[in-house]
Amino acid sequence: MLIKRKSADVQRGKLQAAMAGLSSGVMDRRTFLRRSGLVAGGVAAAGALQIGSVRKAEAAGLGPATGTKIVKNICTHCSVGCTVKAEVANGVWVGQEPAWESPINRGSHCAKGASVRELVHGDRRIKYPMKLVDGQWQRISWDVAINEIGDKMLEIRNKSGADSVYLLGSAKFSNEGAYLFRKFAAFWGTNNVDHQARICHSTTVAGVANTWGYGAMTNSYNDIRNAKTVLFMGSNAAEAHPVAMQHILEGKEVQRANVIVFDPRLTRTAAHATDYVRFRSGTDIAVIWGMMWHIFKNGWEDKNFIAARVHGMDDVRKEVEKYDPKTVEDITGVPEAQMKRVAETFAKVKPATFIWCMGVTQHSVGTANVRAICNLLLATGNVGGMGNGANIFRGHCNVQGATDFGLDISNLPCYYGLVEGAWRHWARVWDVPYDYFVSRFDEVPAKGGRPARTRKANMETSGHTSTRWFDAANMPAEQVDQRDNLKAMFVMGHGGNTIPRMPDAVKGLEKLELLVVADPHPTNFVSLGGRKNGTYLLPIGTQFECSGSRTCSNRSVQWGDKVVEPIFEAANDYWVMYKFAQKLGFAEAMFKNYEMVQGKFGMEPSAESILREINKGGWSTGYTGQSPERLKLHMQHQDKFDMVSLRGAKGSPVENDFYGLPWPCWGTPEFKHPGTHILYNTSLEARNGGGTFRPRFGLTRERTLPDGSKVNDTLLAENGSYSLNSEIKDGYPEFTMGVLKKLGWDKDLTPAELATITAIGGNAIDGVSWTTDLSGGIQRVALEHGCVPYGNGKARANAWNLPDPVPVHREPIYSPRVDLVAKWPARPDERTLRIPNLHTSVQKAAVEKGIAKSFPIVLTSGRLVEYEGGGEETRSNKWLAELQQDMFVEINPADAAARGIKDGAFVWVSGPENNAKARVKALVTERVGAGVAFMPFHFGGFYQGQDQRGNYPKGTDPIVLGESVNVITTYGYDPVTAMHEGKVTLCQIAAA
Amino acid sequence: MRLGAQLRFLALGLMLALAAGFATPSSAQQINPTASAVKEQQFLDALKGNKDAELQGRITIPDGKAATLERPAGREWRAFHQGTMFRIAAIAVLGTLLLLTAFYLIRGRIRIEAGPSGRTITRFNGFERFTHWLTASCFIILALSGLNVTFGKAVLLPLIGPAAFTDISIIAKWSHNYLAWPFMVGIALTFLIWIKDNIPSGADLQWFAQGGGLIGKGHPAARRFNAGQKVIFWSVVIGGAALSLSGFYLLFPAYAGGVLNLQFWNSVHGIVSVLMVAIILAHIYIGSLGMEGAFDAMGSGEVDLNWAREHHSLWVEEEMRKGGVHKDPALQPAE
Amino acid sequence: MARVKFLCDADRCIECNACVTACKNENEVPWGINRRRVVTINDGKPGERSVSMACMHCTDAPCAAVCPVDCFYTTADAVVLHSKDLCIGCGYCFYACPFGAPQYPKVGNFGSRGKMDKCTYCAGGPEADLSPAEFQKYGSNRLAEGKLPLCAEMCSTKSLLAGDGEIIAQIYKERVVKRGYGSGAWGWQTAYKETIAI
Repeated sequence: MLIKRKSADVQRGKLQAAMAGLSSGVMDRRTFLRRSGLVAGGVAAAGALQIGSVRKAEAAGLGPATGTKIVKNICTHCSVGCTVKAEVANGVWVGQEPAWESPINRGSHCAKGASVRELVHGDRRIKYPMKLVDGQWQRISWDVAINEIGDKMLEIRNKSGADSVYLLGSAKFSNEGAYLFRKFAAFWGTNNVDHQARICHSTTVAGVANTWGYGAMTNSYNDIRNAKTVLFMGSNAAEAHPVAMQHILEGKEVQRANVIVFDPRLTRTAAHATDYVRFRSGTDIAVIWGMMWHIFKNGWEDKNFIAARVHGMDDVRKEVEKYDPKTVEDITGVPEAQMKRVAETFAKVKPATFIWCMGVTQHSVGTANVRAICNLLLATGNVGGMGNGANIFRGHCNVQGATDFGLDISNLPCYYGLVEGAWRHWARVWDVPYDYFVSRFDEVPAKGGRPARTRKANMETSGHTSTRWFDAANMPAEQVDQRDNLKAMFVMGHGGNTIPRMPDAVKGLEKLELLVVADPHPTNFVSLGGRKNGTYLLPIGTQFECSGSRTCSNRSVQWGDKVVEPIFEAANDYWVMYKFAQKLGFAEAMFKNYEMVQGKFGMEPSAESILREINKGGWSTGYTGQSPERLKLHMQHQDKFDMVSLRGAKGSPVENDFYGLPWPCWGTPEFKHPGTHILYNTSLEARNGGGTFRPRFGLTRERTLPDGSKVNDTLLAENGSYSLNSEIKDGYPEFTMGVLKKLGWDKDLTPAELATITAIGGNAIDGVSWTTDLSGGIQRVALEHGCVPYGNGKARANAWNLPDPVPVHREPIYSPRVDLVAKWPARPDERTLRIPNLHTSVQKAAVEKGIAKSFPIVLTSGRLVEYEGGGEETRSNKWLAELQQDMFVEINPADAAARGIKDGAFVWVSGPENNAKARVKALVTERVGAGVAFMPFHFGGFYQGQDQRGNYPKGTDPIVLGESVNVITTYGYDPVTAMHEGKVTLCQIAAA
Repeated sequence: MRLGAQLRFLALGLMLALAAGFATPSSAQQINPTASAVKEQQFLDALKGNKDAELQGRITIPDGKAATLERPAGREWRAFHQGTMFRIAAIAVLGTLLLLTAFYLIRGRIRIEAGPSGRTITRFNGFERFTHWLTASCFIILALSGLNVTFGKAVLLPLIGPAAFTDISIIAKWSHNYLAWPFMVGIALTFLIWIKDNIPSGADLQWFAQGGGLIGKGHPAARRFNAGQKVIFWSVVIGGAALSLSGFYLLFPAYAGGVLNLQFWNSVHGIVSVLMVAIILAHIYIGSLGMEGAFDAMGSGEVDLNWAREHHSLWVEEEMRKGGVHKDPALQPAE
Repeated sequence: MARVKFLCDADRCIECNACVTACKNENEVPWGINRRRVVTINDGKPGERSVSMACMHCTDAPCAAVCPVDCFYTTADAVVLHSKDLCIGCGYCFYACPFGAPQYPKVGNFGSRGKMDKCTYCAGGPEADLSPAEFQKYGSNRLAEGKLPLCAEMCSTKSLLAGDGEIIAQIYKERVVKRGYGSGAWGWQTAYKETIAI
C-alpha cells in the first residue's frame, strides 16, 4: 500500500519538495489529534473550550487561508440559537466552522444549521423585484415596486380602510426588524399584524402568561441538564430542535434521568426515551388530568408549593376527579399502569421538566392544553427552579423575539396590550403624539347587529389572525368585524402553506387586490391559486445578510453580524420598511429616533439604534438592559459562560451575567442586571436573576364557600415565599410610584429619575409604574430592596378569564370517537377575534355526516429535521433538498396492508373538507400506530395532484416540491388565539 | 468462497429475524426504548450463522444501496478475489501453459502422418471463419483486459508506473465493456452454426477411449468435430453464456439486485473466464503450433485431405459422397 | 502515533443529518454523492437506533486490497485516501466495502461510473495540501489545517466522534459506564477488528 503522496510524487516527480513540506505538518497534526479527540467527545465543557482555543492557534500555523475573516451570526432556523461561524473571504462566505465557544450549541449544528452557507449562494433566490402582469412575471426596479405597491395600499386604505391591508410579518426578523414592523403597523393604523407565533405557540403564550405572568420558556435548553425527569409531550426535539437534544441526552446520561415521551408517533425523540407513551391525538388534557388523578389520589402533590404560590388548585382537583383511570384509558388509550408510573415519576423524581411543542399547541383546545400542563407543573412544584419548569421549545430563530415585540394582533411591543396606557407609553417612547395613532385607525361602522367602533375603540381591539386571513377575505363583509374585508396582504417572510384549509386559502388569494411577498424565496403564496395580476415579489436578504439581535427560546438575546451584503438585488428588512414608510408618508416620524447609516441601496436605520429604542421602552418584559454593547460583549466572550448555569465566569468582562441576558433583564444597561436564566426562581436575589410569580390579575379573588358565605382569597404569595433576601418577606403587588411612596422607598430615586417619573405621571404620579417609568428608577429601587418589580404573586391554577378556566377534555372538531363527542363536546359557537368560530356546528356536522366512517384515519402533522416551516427556503437548499425529495404520509403496516399500499408507492390522502386530496408517497412504518397517519408540513408546490412548478418565476422554484398537508387539514380554532387544529383531523388513504 | 452461497441470503431474511427479535407488541404496557435498543452485537451474532448477512435500515435519500449500514460479506469476496481467484487464475493460466509446453516437448508437433496430399477439402466456409475470428479476437482482448484486472497491479504496474498503468487499464476497461457485445454475438453465432455438428454421439466415447489420438499412435474416427472439439465448443458456448450473463449484470449493476449479487456475478465471471482462458490456450495450441495442417481450417478454410482423413475420417467420407473434395489443388484458386 | 477513527454513539444519534450536510458544505459534494449518511435500524420500533456512516478508514482496507489499479493509500494518520487520477471507476471497491462508502458520480451502466468519491476524513487527496486542485477533486483538507472532520465537529449531540482511536474509544467507554447502556461501537469489529470492551 502506498503512503500519502507517493502516487502523486510518481506522477509529478516532486518527491523532495512534497516530503519536505509534509513532515513538519504531520508532526504537528499528530500531536494535535491527540488533544482534539477531546473536542469531539465533549467530555467536559471547560476542557472543550480550552482545546477550542488551542486548536485555533494550531490551525493558524497550518492554515491556508489568509485574509479570511470570521463573522458570527445566529442560525436562522429553529429557536435553539446556534451560533454560526462564517469564514468570509472577499465578501464571499467560503466556509463554516464550528462555534465551540457558544454555550448553546458548542460547535454543533443540525442538518439545517450545517448547511446555512448555501442560503447566501442559493441560485434559487429571488434575484430582483418582480410583478405579475397577466400571468407573466416581469422584472421591475425597487423604485417602481415601492411606488406601485404604495399607491395600491393607499388606494385600498381610502376605499376599504387600513384594516383591509394585512401585515404579515416574520419570526425570521431580527428583534429590530420585528419591532420595526410592529411599529410600522401602528403608524399604518391597524392591529392586523401577525407572524408565525400564531401558528406555533400562540396558545402557549396565552396559557402560560395567564398562569404565572410571562408567555415564555421558563428555563433553558442548558438547564435541562439539571433535570432528573424530562417529559416531552407533542415535541419531537430530535427533528425540530436537534441541538437541544445534546443537552437533554447528556443530561439523561449524567443524571441517569427519566425521559418520558408522550406522542402519537414513536418519534426519533421517543427512540431515546426511557418510557414511551402512545396516546390518541387531541386528548392531551385527559392525559394530563389522568396523571394528576394519580398524583392527587396518592398525595404526591407538592403541598407547600401549592399553598405558598398557587391559587385555585382545589378547582383543578375537583375537575380531575372525573378522570379516573378507566375514563382516561378510554379517551386516550393509555393503560392505567403506565399512566400511574409516569405520574409517580414526574411527581417524585424531581426536578422534573415538561417540554412541549406544536403537538400540544395546535389544537382547538390549545390554550387549555397548555393550562393543563401548567397545572401539572404547579401541582408537583416543578416551576421556578433548576432542572424543572415549562420548557417550551419554540420553532423559529426569532419567534420569541418577534412575539416579544408584538408582531401580534393583541399586543404592542413587550406585551403592553392595546389599552390606552400602552399606546401612550409607546407614543412617548416613539416621541409621536398619541392622537396621531388614533387618527390612523379605521372607524368601524355598525354591522351584523354589532355596534359601531370609534377609531380609539378599534385601536384597542385585537386584530384578525393570520390563521384565518382568507376567511376575512372570503366571508360576507357583514360577518367580518372591521370596516371591510381583507383586500391586500403584505407578507414579509411567512409561508403560505402552513395553515389548514388551503382550498379556502386559494379562494382567498383570488379575492385579494394586492399581494406582496417580500422574502428571500417565493413562498407558496406565489405558487398557489390562479392570480394573474397585482402580485409583487420583493427580494429580501436572509438574516445572514442583516445585522441585529435575535432572542432564542430560552429568552437569551444574541447579536448576529451581517455575514455578507444581501446577494443579487436583495435588500434588508430595515431598508425596505424605511422605503415603504417614506412612500406611505410616515417615515420621518417613525424613524426620527434612529441613527441612519449608509446601506446597500441607501440610508437605513442601524440595528443598534433600533435596539436602543427598544431598551428605552421595553420595561414590562425586561428588554431594557440588553444594550447592543452588552450583547456584542457576550458574543465576543461566549467562551466565558458556564455551559449549565449560563453564568459568566468570574474575572471575565461578562462576570455574573447570564448568557445573552435572558429577559427580564431589568433596569438600564448601566444597572447591569444579569438577566434571568430561570423565571420565577425564588432561590436567587431579584437583582441577581431571581423572580417570583407575577400578580397580573388583581390582588384578591372572591370565593363562595359551601355555606354560601364569601371569602376573599389572596392572589399574592404566602407562607414566606419570596425571592432571596427580599426586604418584603411576603407577597406584594407590582411596583408603582404609589407603592414606593407607601414603603418610603421613593427617597431612593435620583432627582433625574424623579423628574422623568413626574413628567410621565403629571397629576397622577402615583400611577406611574415599573412598566411605564422610562427612567428605570422604579425598577432599580425595587430591585435594590430585593424585590421583583412586577410583584410577588401566586400562579393561577384557575384562570377565570379564559374560556375554560379549568381545562376540560373536549373531543377534536373532527373526532374519530363519535361516541365520546356527546360527553366531551367542543365549545359552543362563538365570535372570536373579528369572525365567527363555529366549534360545535362543525363538530356536529362531522358526526352527523359520518365523517369518522368515511375518513377513519387520524391525521397528524409535524416537522422533518431537514426542512423548516413552509419549507420553500430549505427545499431550495440543495444540501437539504437531497435528503428529503418526496412528500410522504406515514402509515401503519396494518392500514397499508388493508389498503394494498406498498412502501414508497404513491397514495391519495383525502380529507373531509372541500373534497381535498393530495398525492404523496406512502412511508409504511410502525412509527405511527394503527389508524393514525402522519404528514410533514413543509411541502408545497403541488396542489391536489397538480404540479405548480410553472407558477414560480423562472429559476426561483424550490428544488423539491410536494403536496402540502394543509390541503387536507381542517377547521378548528382555539377560542383564545385562533390557533388552528393542525395536529388532529381525519383522513382516508387509498393507493394511487 | 462458496459460490452458490451468495444468492441465497440477502438482507431481508436477516432483518426480519432481527426485527422479530426486537419487536414489542404494540399493546405492551411498558416500552423502554433505551433498554430495548437494537445493539450491534445482535448483528455480529447473526453474522456467525450467515456470513452474507447485511444490516439494513431506513434512509431518506433515494439511493437504495445506502440503506445497507454494514455488509461484512465484502470481506469474503475480497478474500476470494484477492486469494482464491488469484490462485485459480494463476494455476489455470500458468498451469495450462506449462502443460502445453511439456506436451510439446514430449509429443512434439503432431504431423500429418501420411504427409500432405496436395488435395484440399473445404472445412469452414467464409461465414464460419468470420464467426470464429470475431469471437476469437474479441476473446483475446477481453481475456487480456480481464487478466489485467487480476494480475495487472502485480505484473504490469511495477513495470510501467501508476499513471501509465491507469491509462492502460482505462483503455482495457472500455475495450472490455464494448468488445463484450461483438463477443456475445460471436458466441450466439457459434452456437447456431455449429450446434448440429456438436451433438454428442457414441463415436465420442470411442474417441476419448483412444485418447483422441493425442497420446500414442492412430486416429480415432470422427465426424466433422471430434469429441475434443466438441468439448471446446460446449465450453465456449456455455462459458460464453455464463460470461455474457454475469458480464451483463456487471455492466448494468442496477439490474443485479444488490451488491451481494454483484459480488456473486463478479466471482462467476472471474472463475469462468480463467477456465476459459485455459481451455482456449489449449485450443490455440492445437490449432496452430501443436498440429500440422490444423490452422488451415480457420485460415483458408481449406484443409489437406490427408489431414482430414486422419482426424475426421467419417466427415471426409460424407463430404466425398457429396463431392466436396477438390480434385486438383492447382486448379483451385486460393481464397 | 495517532490512528484516527470514527465512532458513532448510536445512543446519542438522532438522525439529524448534520453530519451529512456538514460534509456537503465543507467539501461541496455534488447532488447524488453521499459520502456520509445516517441509517436508522428498526425504524419506528421501540429501541430503533440511528447510525451515521461513512468510510470507516478500515485497518487493512478491503477497498485498497481489491483495487485493480492500486489507487488507494493510507496516510500516517491511518486515513484511507485514493487518487482520482488513478481510479478507473471499476466499482470493485464498492463490492468490497462493508460500509457502502464508495460513491460514483454516475449510475454505472456500461461501467460509466466515473471516478470514485468517498469520505476523505476531511483530509483531501494526493495533491498538495490545501491546493485548489486538491479541493476540487477531494474537498477540503481540514486535517492539514489542524482540524477534524466537520461532520463530527458539528454533530448535534456529539454522537459522532472523530479523532485518535484510543481517545474516542475512551470517551465512548466513559459514556457507557456513566449512563449504563450502549449499543456498541458500530462498525468497529468490521473495520478495525476490535471492539471497545466496557
